Amino acid sequence: MKEGKSVKLNHQQPHQNGHLTPSKFAKLFDPEASWDKDQLGDVLHWIRQVLGLACGFLWGSIPLVGGIWFIIFLALSTGIIYSYYAVMLKVDEEEFGGHGALLQEGLFASITLFLLSWILVYSLAHF
Amino acid sequence: MAYPFSDFKYSDGLSVVGISFCTAIVCEAISWVLIYRTNSYKNLRSSIDKASKKLETMKTDSNKINIKKSKTKKIDRVETSLKESSRDLSLFKFKSGGVVALVLFVVFGLLNSLFEGKVVAKLPFKPFGLIMKMSHRGLQGNDPTDCSMAFLYFLCSISIRTNLQKFLGFAPPRGASAGLFPMPDPKTS
Repeated sequence: MKEGKSVKLNHQQPHQNGHLTPSKFAKLFDPEASWDKDQLGDVLHWIRQVLGLACGFLWGSIPLVGGIWFIIFLALSTGIIYSYYAVMLKVDEEEFGGHGALLQEGLFASITLFLLSWILVYSLAHF
Repeated sequence: MAYPFSDFKYSDGLSVVGISFCTAIVCEAISWVLIYRTNSYKNLRSSIDKASKKLETMKTDSNKINIKKSKTKKIDRVETSLKESSRDLSLFKFKSGGVVALVLFVVFGLLNSLFEGKVVAKLPFKPFGLIMKMSHRGLQGNDPTDCSMAFLYFLCSISIRTNLQKFLGFAPPRGASAGLFPMPDPKTS
């Protein structure tokens, strides 16, 4: 019963995260598309999370050991995020609060997700 | 306990993550019941969204056109409205946050009783300072790469709850954060 209501509530949300239609996927790679602040923020957030999870699994599987790889993850994910919005989408960052705001989107959650997946995969796969 | 991952030396880590995930879902369910489904929250949120977007539009326009006194007054009025709504929203959440905090505290106590003194994972790096205090909490021995339940629970709390809220659409609107920490106003520079 409650879950039913919850589902309805989700559908009422203007931004349906995780329910992108094919045309919306195309927008992700279209430098001509216009972006709402919330939309771009959400996209950058989820890209950060995917990168955190993927790097954590990769680092943990190989395994890459040492604090230096944490720094490398930070540099890599930040570089990818920057390349995405500045080079691929060609958005004017001033319209979205500047470089700082865009690069911070989802950063802390991404770091904790990366550490979590790195530690878990490393622990389970190599001991 | 016979389950698929029991052969791994550090399967306790998966238990911590699993319990944390269930806890996150319970917390969001509680928040939904107490906060998100109520009319007052929906009204507050929609007013914040409207004020935030209106403010952006007005500021964009004011950059293009010469600033007029009436324009400045309107911007001030919308900003004030935004700040008031944001403050109301924060207060609204604070009242119900106590229940969620209680759940998190109880679960932490449960995990503590289950995994006190146990190494639930192995760190692929050597922690230092505050991180080491957290990651080595309650553990015997000198190996800094031993990971305690507390550190894993902390990582889970941040990553899982944040992303779950984002996914369900429960994250606070961005206008709210703008209201709490006002950006430098373009008209003053």
